[in-house]
Amino acid sequence: MTSRGAARPNGQSQASKICQFKLVLLGESAVGKSSLVLRFVKGQFHEYQESTIGAAFLTQSVCLDDTTVKFEIWDTAGQERYHSLAPMYYRGAQAAIVVYDITNQETFARAKTWVKELQRQASPSIVIALAGNKADLASKRMVEYEEAQAYADDNSLLFMETSAKTAMNVNDLFLAIAKKLPKSEPQSTSGAAGRSRGVDLHEQSQQNKSQCCSN
Amino acid sequence: MNEEYDVIVLGTGLTECILSGIMSVNGKKVLHMDRNSYYGGESASITPLEDLYKRFNLPGTPPESMGRGRDWNVDLIPKFLMANGQLVKMLLYTEVTRYLDFKVIEGSFVYKGGKIYKVPSTEAEALASSLMGLFEKRRFRKFLVYVANFDENDPRTFEGVDPKKTTMRDVYKKFDLGQDVIDFTGHALALYRTDDYLDQPCQETINRIKLYSESLARYGKSPYLYPLYGLGELPQGFARLSAIYGGTYMLNKPIEEIVIENGKVVGVKSEGEVARCKQLICDPSYVSDRVTKVGQVIRVICILSHPIKNTNDANSCQIIIPQNQVNRKSDIYVCMISSAHNVAAQGKYIAIASTTVETADPEKEIKPALDLLEPIEQKFVSISDLFAPTDLGTESQIFISRTYDATTHFETTCDDIKDIYKRMMGSEFDFEEMKRKKNDIYGEEEQQ
Repeated sequence: MTSRGAARPNGQSQASKICQFKLVLLGESAVGKSSLVLRFVKGQFHEYQESTIGAAFLTQSVCLDDTTVKFEIWDTAGQERYHSLAPMYYRGAQAAIVVYDITNQETFARAKTWVKELQRQASPSIVIALAGNKADLASKRMVEYEEAQAYADDNSLLFMETSAKTAMNVNDLFLAIAKKLPKSEPQSTSGAAGRSRGVDLHEQSQQNKSQCCSN
Repeated sequence: MNEEYDVIVLGTGLTECILSGIMSVNGKKVLHMDRNSYYGGESASITPLEDLYKRFNLPGTPPESMGRGRDWNVDLIPKFLMANGQLVKMLLYTEVTRYLDFKVIEGSFVYKGGKIYKVPSTEAEALASSLMGLFEKRRFRKFLVYVANFDENDPRTFEGVDPKKTTMRDVYKKFDLGQDVIDFTGHALALYRTDDYLDQPCQETINRIKLYSESLARYGKSPYLYPLYGLGELPQGFARLSAIYGGTYMLNKPIEEIVIENGKVVGVKSEGEVARCKQLICDPSYVSDRVTKVGQVIRVICILSHPIKNTNDANSCQIIIPQNQVNRKSDIYVCMISSAHNVAAQGKYIAIASTTVETADPEKEIKPALDLLEPIEQKFVSISDLFAPTDLGTESQIFISRTYDATTHFETTCDDIKDIYKRMMGSEFDFEEMKRKKNDIYGEEEQQ
């Protein structure tokens, strides 16, 4: 069932299986969460990124052999600033990137709190990646690579230092997450996987519309 | 926080969060605060179960049989969404649907002579129902066809009825409907809580029945939808919308003072700082001197280990006990949901009975509903005051929401939102106002 497409003799579709995952970003304000996503999704970087980019929906895929892993990326929309992130935010998330700024020790401490929060609240099978961002500012480094690596190892987290500015490790981080996500279960192609999607309100409203028009 | 905002919102109940979202989408600078450490206020879903026990001052912790506390999300106020109603329209226009998943409630039932019956609302169901005799069925069918064809903008569909003058009582007479049919039409289809509507012009009632049947036509089983993980997801979804459009969120903020100058609100003081604003939206609990008590509602949250009897083992349903059936002035409602909606541990059901308080012994008033639910594993009883604003904000620019009432859906909540919008903005609310204003979809779905 899961590799149905790959068995097609005509080889029309290479990446036949599409898996969709909800990925959330966490971390202190101004560590570069939105910048990381903007780099990954659009290949862009803005030196003076506004504090929230106001993106409602961000999606981007990475290809792994015969599988397309589609990320539905949730930005905090600034609700983390006063510790007011809603539980709905990480509900059903299959992956999380916890971001800190390597030039700011406090943001690393805060990242650890987020990891704890995820371990307590999120799905037990969630894949968590720790990202030490702003790696291009190595001269101002306050968090040692080894310290973060040791913490990540202790907590079974993926770990990379990244730079949204230079694009260093940004795609690699998402790729590493994609590799670690379970892709064995059949995934629905519409809507977020792993959540039991209910009725589609959009679909119904369209049906209703077409009924009206045909009268 | 000591900045200048266009609008400050206090309380993160559904009404406040939807208004906050509308204001942010329309470019207003919004600061949204709540004294609690969680979203939702009175419209929150309580999790874990331990917190519900604490909230109701039950001794000890939940027994082992209740499963994992974290699997519970218990609504304090039972309501469903009408599938064709205003809240669904708001969810679609704002695309907050992206954050939520819904399931259809499996059945709608009405109480008659101590038993419950499925509510017939289509011709086919009416003909199959054991609720009516044969001749009654034919007359009811004719009535339903009339309602379905009724169009308030097309006098040809009126058949001699003046929608703005003819009373509903006279419309029932025109179709020669009996008392039982009138009872369930008014209470289970038009969803009136009392019989006051009988002597009002019929247009409103006919439109309510249309809303019911059109909602039912959407998904078939019932006209109602319910969000997975509980109603508390709704305010969170609209809060996220507001945040995406620049709204600032602060939970856990004690509100010390609403600062008034010359009779008009100018700011809110919290933890010694003042945030300034031009307008203020809040729930009644933040302005006890500007609201008045308009009634009381009793709600009994019941945890069951079985589906409700005679509902075909539905994992979710609504039961309406019309007032006439139990010699009351207002109806009793039961809303039931279960582990199928990620609100209870596996195999558990949550049934919430509610009604408007009419006597000094409200627990006795609600007993007919509880009798349908036995055996009840655990009960949580609350009697809450309903408040309405005495200050409509014309001078003060303080706009206060109404307490969530005893109705089983969100239509009155949406009416309140539209009313507050009109008072704040000076123009009628238009759903178009809620449409996302900028291209805020990035990545692969951008083009769609």
